[in-house]
Amino acid sequence: MKNYNKILLQLLAAFVLLMLSAGQSFAQDSTEEAPVIKKVKPVKNTFGSVFIMDNQSVMVPIKGTLEMAIQHRFGTVDNGKKDLYGIFAPSNIRIGLSYAPLKKLLVGAGVTKERMQVDMFAKYALLEQTPGIMPVSATYFGNVVIDARDKSNFRNSVDRFSYFNQLIIARKITDEFSVQVAPSFSWFNNVEAYVDSKGNIREKMHNYHFAVSVAGRYKISEKSAITAGYDQPLTQHPTDNPHPNICLGFETTTSSHAFQVFAGNYYGIVPQSNNMFNQNDYTVGQFVIGFNITHLWNF
Amino acid sequence: MKTKGIITILATGFIVASFTLNVNTSDQKKPWPVPAAAKAKKNEVPSNAESIKAGKSLWNTHCKSCHGAKGLGDGTKASQLKTDPGDFTKPDLQSQTDGEIFYRLSEGRDDMPSFKKKIPDEEDRWSLVNFIRTLK
Repeated sequence: MKNYNKILLQLLAAFVLLMLSAGQSFAQDSTEEAPVIKKVKPVKNTFGSVFIMDNQSVMVPIKGTLEMAIQHRFGTVDNGKKDLYGIFAPSNIRIGLSYAPLKKLLVGAGVTKERMQVDMFAKYALLEQTPGIMPVSATYFGNVVIDARDKSNFRNSVDRFSYFNQLIIARKITDEFSVQVAPSFSWFNNVEAYVDSKGNIREKMHNYHFAVSVAGRYKISEKSAITAGYDQPLTQHPTDNPHPNICLGFETTTSSHAFQVFAGNYYGIVPQSNNMFNQNDYTVGQFVIGFNITHLWNF
Repeated sequence: MKTKGIITILATGFIVASFTLNVNTSDQKKPWPVPAAAKAKKNEVPSNAESIKAGKSLWNTHCKSCHGAKGLGDGTKASQLKTDPGDFTKPDLQSQTDGEIFYRLSEGRDDMPSFKKKIPDEEDRWSLVNFIRTLK
């Protein structure tokens, strides 16, 4: 865990340095190339989609956008040819629908195959990166998830609920390169317990979990980009500590679609499940192939 | 022998009809009137490198798949359209005012979507007009 914290601190330090240095170069560029005084506007398209692989991106679609999302995660690749690198293994799927009823606000819902989790979420752009005014964009993302499996799995109805809160801070450093860092807090109303040798009931995990995610996108053409991300668990649990997630992918966007294909360690799609329960270990090659597809309509 | 003759006549008729229909559809251009005020509207964004770069980026995302990379009307989706996407290098488009182009790309018609909601910032749409001007 100490190692993880050290890596995390290094990543955060690098992120802050990157933002500061990029802020200077951005300011220089804008004064050199725009001698005419004009109204500054928030930067657009920091990322190509509301998702960046296993995480939400800082982006909130423009008002009136309806979006359908299909997300897919195959099995781990470590079985090799036996299940075609996880492609023929049992997979996890989420189907979601979202809408931006107001400027800066996105609300939506979805259902995920794993534990039949039904999620309802809201996303709000708190800050917008604006040259000379605001160096970063910041977006809040929060959800409520109901584990909709059969009632025999639960003692109380409230045990079905879990929650996720995340602050996403991002900067479009150049037209090609954007990066974001996103601390998060997950909460599960019910966690597993065990009986120790003295007959006492002990929690396997805490109900809460802190984590932080770092992700970036580098555009290799007008429509295509390489994406990379890292998710670091912060909370130390009594047992079953989750593993970090490393992901690397490719993204292509059109006027109405975004398509992301990537390899990472998260099998889940609901963020709190990933952050709290990921047992795929990158050190032993437990990666899964995944993709996100979104279709947009503007009303 | 009679059957062969009928088939030949039918085949010839079919070919002639096909050509005639093609000629008819390609010659027909549905009028697309633009209100006088919109036609006379001045471009709010000066055509400079920054604006053209922004316009090109929007073109690649929203327009290229039908109109093609150079505006020749040869994008990957062009063959699926019911209407001719046009050749933007020709005077047919380039002789239009900035206001006309702005109006048409904002409002859309038939296969051509309305971009005023997808690209809500008017300055962005003017930049797109500035880029379209570079296609001639």
